[in-house]
Amino acid sequence: MTAVVPSPSDVVAEVQEGGSRYDRLIQPARVHGTLYTDPSIFAEELRKIWHRTWVFVGHESEVPQVNDYVRKQLADQDVVMTRDKEGEVHLLINRCAHRGLQVCDDKAGNSSSFRCPYHGWTYRNTGELLGYPYNKGYGGKKQLPLGMGKVARVASYQGFVFGSLAEEGPSLEEHLGAAKGEIDRLVGLSPEGKVSLDAGWLRHKTRSNWKFLAENETDGYHPQFVHGSIFGVTGSPIGELYSDNSTAVTRNLGDGHSENDLRPEFRGFAEPMRWFGTTPDRVPHYVAAMKEAHGDAADRVMIEGAPHVMIFPNLFIAEIQVFNIQPVAVGECVQYSTAVQFDGGHELNMRMVSQSIGSVGPAGMLLADDTEMYERNQRGVAMADPEWLDVRRGLHRESVDENGFTIGTATDETGMRGFWNHYKSLMEAED
Amino acid sequence: MTAIHPAGEIIESEFASVAVKLDHDGNAVRLRVEDLRTGRVRFLDALELESLVWLADGHLTQLLDPSHERWRG
Repeated sequence: MTAVVPSPSDVVAEVQEGGSRYDRLIQPARVHGTLYTDPSIFAEELRKIWHRTWVFVGHESEVPQVNDYVRKQLADQDVVMTRDKEGEVHLLINRCAHRGLQVCDDKAGNSSSFRCPYHGWTYRNTGELLGYPYNKGYGGKKQLPLGMGKVARVASYQGFVFGSLAEEGPSLEEHLGAAKGEIDRLVGLSPEGKVSLDAGWLRHKTRSNWKFLAENETDGYHPQFVHGSIFGVTGSPIGELYSDNSTAVTRNLGDGHSENDLRPEFRGFAEPMRWFGTTPDRVPHYVAAMKEAHGDAADRVMIEGAPHVMIFPNLFIAEIQVFNIQPVAVGECVQYSTAVQFDGGHELNMRMVSQSIGSVGPAGMLLADDTEMYERNQRGVAMADPEWLDVRRGLHRESVDENGFTIGTATDETGMRGFWNHYKSLMEAED
Repeated sequence: MTAIHPAGEIIESEFASVAVKLDHDGNAVRLRVEDLRTGRVRFLDALELESLVWLADGHLTQLLDPSHERWRG
């Protein structure tokens, strides 16, 4: 028996004539499955999103000393994050200007210069070409206007380093928009007003389109189902915050960013450190340092806790840990995750590492549960029927908060809709 | 990275590997530096080391040009 399955594009065309390709694929209450499976859309995303907008790459604390370097990813680009002798952070494209060889191979190191192992071309850690062997073949020294490639724009906010491969575009601060306040909130939990991401990154290969992750990070509908096991084992009260009875909200922060704002719940309890599942008497030095740093505001900061924010397209701050999502192919991405470390918060930092290991480590329960969903999602969405994914949850009960942001309840898909609006605007831009 | 080696403590990266140790065979102590990839050895006395400390960054950078000395051709 031969079944004739109409191609997805035919069906989409029937659904809505006219408009751009993305008008047809992205609608207010649903998005088309091919957005996750079509290699041509992935190729277009690389050009219009990953090679254009600001992408989170790493943190300044990963290169604390002069001449430190670490290998990072910016989508499909192998990038070397360096700190030069003046202390400035650079993002170099890991490619020799001579024959295109990968210059750095180690994951991390300390060197003022990099020497390509193929023919010995040597670069400063700013990308500048210092020289090459047997220079007569080029008419002498310093005859070549070449160097390692550079990420066109590099900027950091509170130590979070972002790169944009586009020479021009919105500034990092414009891109971050309202999400800046969420990063500030995280940093405010450090008695010294500074976080480090130097506990080491776990690398999880995930056979799923990157957008399933970006959407899921502020999906408050799934935790009670997917994470029931870790909530049960740890006795965490967090699960209850994601229900129709919760006062927490899902907020579309604009520019593709979104958050699950649990503060209304925590304010109701008014218990410092509840967000972290502990009490002040168990972390007395941290609490004292916070009071020293913040004075009367310390209790509020410790009651409200850390943000749960997805910063478009790939930085997810999940209270105690940070995820860096990088696409590999239409059906594959990598999740890098690490524990947040608060400068001056040693007492909390040890716990954050162990809690992160428990949630996103090799035997952790949180990331493994999510990833099972991502990968089953990728397999399911490749099926022919039904073709659409539904994103209407809570559409009828959205409202606008006092700052003009669209909000839904804790379990509504308000964040996803914000993601798709921004995604669509980027994908409809000219090549 | 450092490790115990007959030629001294090792300082290495993916780009170079050398061993350093203090040498007491002369009338004054010197630093013995061995390029572990070739076996070539250089001794640096106190005055030479002090000069290195005072070397302008630009001069040090010139030395890193592969054709400056080793692969001059």
